[in-house]
Parts: sequence; structure tokens; C-alpha cells
Amino acid sequence: MKLLVCIKQVPDLESRFKPNAEGVWYNETDLAWRMNEYDEFAVEQAIRLREQLGEGSELTVLSIGPERVVEAIKKALAMGCDNAVHIQDPAAATKDPWQIASIISTYAKDKNFDLIFTGMQSQDRGSAQVGVTIAEQLGIPCTTTIVGFEYDNGAITAKRELEGGIKGIVKLKTPALVTCQLGLNVPRYPTLPNIMKAKKKEISAITAADLLREEPLATTASFHPPAKKGGGIVLEGDVGTLVDQLIGILKEKTAVLR
Amino acid sequence: MNFELSQDHKVLQSAVRDFVEKEIKPIAMKIDEEHMIPDALVAKMGEMGFLGSYLPEEYGGAGLDMLSYAIVVEEVSKACGSSGVLISAHTSLCSGPIYTFGTEEQKKKWLPPLNSGEKIGCFLLTEPDAGSDAGGTATTYRRDGDHFVINGSKTFITNGGYLGTGVLLASFDRSLKHKGITAFIVDLSSPGVTILKNENKMGIRGSYTTAFAFDDLRVPVENQLGQEGKGFNIAMDTLNGGRIGIASQALGIAEGAFERALAYSKERKQFGQAISEFQAVQFKLADMWTSIETSKLLTYRAACLKDAKKSYTMESAMCKMHASETATYVTKEAIQIHGGYGYIVDYEVERMYRDAKITEIYEGTNEVQRVVISKMLLS
Repeated sequence: MKLLVCIKQVPDLESRFKPNAEGVWYNETDLAWRMNEYDEFAVEQAIRLREQLGEGSELTVLSIGPERVVEAIKKALAMGCDNAVHIQDPAAATKDPWQIASIISTYAKDKNFDLIFTGMQSQDRGSAQVGVTIAEQLGIPCTTTIVGFEYDNGAITAKRELEGGIKGIVKLKTPALVTCQLGLNVPRYPTLPNIMKAKKKEISAITAADLLREEPLATTASFHPPAKKGGGIVLEGDVGTLVDQLIGILKEKTAVLR
Repeated sequence: MNFELSQDHKVLQSAVRDFVEKEIKPIAMKIDEEHMIPDALVAKMGEMGFLGSYLPEEYGGAGLDMLSYAIVVEEVSKACGSSGVLISAHTSLCSGPIYTFGTEEQKKKWLPPLNSGEKIGCFLLTEPDAGSDAGGTATTYRRDGDHFVINGSKTFITNGGYLGTGVLLASFDRSLKHKGITAFIVDLSSPGVTILKNENKMGIRGSYTTAFAFDDLRVPVENQLGQEGKGFNIAMDTLNGGRIGIASQALGIAEGAFERALAYSKERKQFGQAISEFQAVQFKLADMWTSIETSKLLTYRAACLKDAKKSYTMESAMCKMHASETATYVTKEAIQIHGGYGYIVDYEVERMYRDAKITEIYEGTNEVQRVVISKMLLS
């Protein structure tokens, strides 16, 4: 059985984000990077399935981006993926979800993956479109935001978390794609011996241009922080003064007392 | 010159950081209060490979390098100086000399349980009357058939309380001073080993600092480490490597305190603004960070020199001395930036201040480091 897990490297959320000079994405200098959290759930679940299947199965991890994304790939290898594909693209951040999905589906279409895992969305762009679009482009079934996963003999039983805490059970047959949500599992730490072993695992490199056939369907027009809110007004004085001031403000600035 | 960590080292750093954030940071205060690192944490650090980072895979180690080891000790010490020194003393002072000076049989026998954390290692050099002056070792041994019989006492033994594996220095003729010293690998759960006490200390309170008495401790002859009379050289070589571990511990403690001071300076408001807006605080932060960065460069460099099998005696002395003085300075300033809150246990910087001080003292006081450095400059 052939498994694929797709991961993205995203800025650490504790970074300080500033828009870049073009104003369509953030400035990448001085950011710390890590694997997208939802993708860690995907990697963990894929590894658990790989362990369940044992000999004869193979788990490939794939990531698109500049050289730095190899760090995220190496983490996935140290967690237990068998081999890796790095689709080299220094401009991945400016591609829309349609293009990113098409790069992956073009790569995957003749590889006969039985099951593809992705995170349910990325922590930076947050479109939640790449996973489902890959499934659509490959013509395979898919279910999203899974919080439970079982596999037996070509059949997947996935538990989904819906609004209001309602759970849904979805059954689908391979080949298929699932997108993974918080709560699915607790990702393992890469241990030092496994980090060492990961150094010997193969990372094949492909240029994104060799796989990209599609034009973007959407472009980012502007990327900026929200306007700064005013600091609020602190009223001072005795209670009578405070009440008078407050009534004045409510009359002047709101519709409450008109 | 390239001052960037390699991708592999960054992967390791981030993995260790995640582990520390979830498994150690939340219990660091408890470790200090209860004078005890929970067995479960020691076991988890063993599973993670923290206790055999640079030892080869064939002996159950992770097979990484000295720089990886420095990063592990640093990251762990950011949250907990006690856990940092457990790793450092275990690896540098016990597994290290067994790997460097042991026979193939000794390595195969003793290293796998150390690297997995099944046994915790320690280094039995210091005695009540022999600290920096190792030549004054008064613990003696004599041959008796297939065994050596050891008598004497050792003190300030980091990790001693685990009663795991020790590298012990003893003399067969005290009049020969350091030329009479031989090293042995000892199983501290053997008869003849008595714990006199585990010291109650100012800092690194989760770490055992143990005083031992040895009363006719019988050690099989095959446990002699290196040649007879060469124990002093083994001890000096071991301490050289150990200094990189202590520098990494000190560096981590300083970074942990700095992170808190920086965050607090942005939160704490006085006179209508964050205290980080005051130049008095800004200058403190600038000085603290500069000391941390210089310590890091010295420490990583010493580790890289050891990896490259080049001489690193002076560099390890410099990084240990500078990083430890950085740790006491930065933790002290971190308390000052916190004001009165810094003096309160809950803010943790006071623990870091207490933990920092020992790094100027153990594995060669900073006065001894200055002797090492100046001797090499003037020789």
C-alpha cells in the first residue's frame, strides 16, 4: 500500500508578522519556521497506518517550497516517513491553492497512492482548499476535518467533528484523501536516534515548474494588519460626573439615547 | 565562515524544544521544590535519546555529534537547570570516558544501558580534601585476586543518588600524587557503597549531589578503565569535554531567564508605559543578549572543534567560564527587570539565579579555567 502525506512549513505563530514590500504576503526575513500543526496530525496518522500495515507499505512525505522546507521534511522523516519529495519552489507562497493542489496532483497522478493525508488547513493562509482540490483533481473521494481514523482492508472509517460538537462517521474506500483536524492524535516527538536515521532517508527533488500546468484562479490583492483601534476613553471624577460624561458620550456617539 | 546551524541541527533543536516545552517546563518549579526529577521524566529523556546523543549507534547512542549534545543540554536547561546537568554529567563525565578510554568489551557492556537511561552515570573524582587538586585523591585501591578493593570517600557527586554507573578515580600509592591514580568503572548498586547524604543545595535542587563512602568495594579487574596510573589524564580529558556540557547548561539557564525578562519588560507597565520603553531596561536587555550570544558562539565553537577532533582545551575552558558568568549575570538582571516579582518563586527567575551560580563552580571553578587559559597563552 502506498501512502502520501502532504505538509507545509509555516511561520511560527509567535513570529512578528509584517507585510512584504509588494503588500501581498508577509516579509519572510527573521521568521522562525515549523511544520503546520494540522500537518503534524496528518503525519502522525499516516505513520500509525504505515506501522499497522507493516512490510510492503511505503509512506512518502511531500512538501512544496524553498530550501528551508527541507527542515519540515526532515522532521517528518524523523517521525517515521520512509522517503520524501521536495518540490522546489521559491515562489510557493504567491501561488493560490488551485496551483498548489495541481502541482501535487500532477506529481501524484501516476504514482497510485492508495491514501493521501493532509492537514485540514494551513496556519498561515488558512484556505483549507488544497486537500479537497487534490482529491477533486485526482478524481478520488475525500473527507475533511477528521478527528478519528480507522483502516481495514481498503475501507476507511473516519470520524468528523461538526459544528456544535456533533460527530459524524464517514466511510470511504481507497484510493482516497483525508484532511486532519486537531484532536485526531498526539503527534510523536522525533527522537534523537530517529533524527540520525532520517539523515539516511532519500529526499528526491523536483522543480515545481515541471509539474505546474495551471494558472491561478485567485490572487491576493492586499495583505495588511488590521487598522489600530483607539485606546478607549477613561473617565475620571466622582460618580455624578462619571454618569454625566457617560450620558453625554452615549448621546453624541451612539444611537442608544436618541 | 557560516554561523548558521545545519538543517539537521535545526530539526534536532526544534524537536528538543517541543519536548521541553511540553514535558519539562510545566514541572520545572516542582522539580526544584521537591528536590527530585521524576523518574518518568528521566525515562522519557532516555527514550528521546537525550542520554546518549553523541555516542555511536552501535553502543545504543543516537550517533549524533557534540554540537547536537550541546543543543540538547542548552534547550533542556532553558526550562530546568537540574535536568540539564543530569544529562551533562551523565554523558560527558561517565559515558564519555568509557567511550574514549574503554575497551571494546567495556563499551559493549556499559554504554547501552547508559545511553538508554536504564542506568544513570556519574563521575567520582571529588573528595572532601581533593576538589580542583585531583592529585590529592585519598581514595585507595589494592589488588585482591580478580578484584580491586576500593576504600575511601567521594563528595559532591552529581547524579550519585541514582546508584547507577560511575567512573571512579582511586590511588594505589598516595605518595605518587596524580601518577598513582587509576580510573575504574563501578556499579554503584554493589555492596560496599554507602550514600552518606544527598546535599541540600542553593540551586539545581532537582539534581542529586551525593556524598559516598566506599568500604571494601570490590571491583572486577576487567573494570579498570585505561592504564594503571593514567587516571589523572582520563580525569583531565573528561573534564575538558564536560566543560562544553556545563557551558551549554549555563547558556540555557541564561536564555531561559532572558526570555522571561524580555517578555515581562513588554508586559509590565509603570508611569504609563511598558518598562521596555525605558532606556535603563533597554540597555540591560542589550547587554544580557550580547553576553548570551558570545557565550553561544564560544560554546558551539568548542563543540565543533571537538567534533572535528581538533584541540579544544582552551576553547572549552573559555566557553565554560564565559557562559557561567553570563548565566549568573543574566539571571541576576532578569530578577532586577522583574522588580519585586522577580524575587517571588512563581516568576521562576529566582530559581534560575540559584541554578546559575553552580556553573561558575563545578567541573573546574572559573579560577581554574582562567589558569588553563592563561597557561596556554603563556606556554
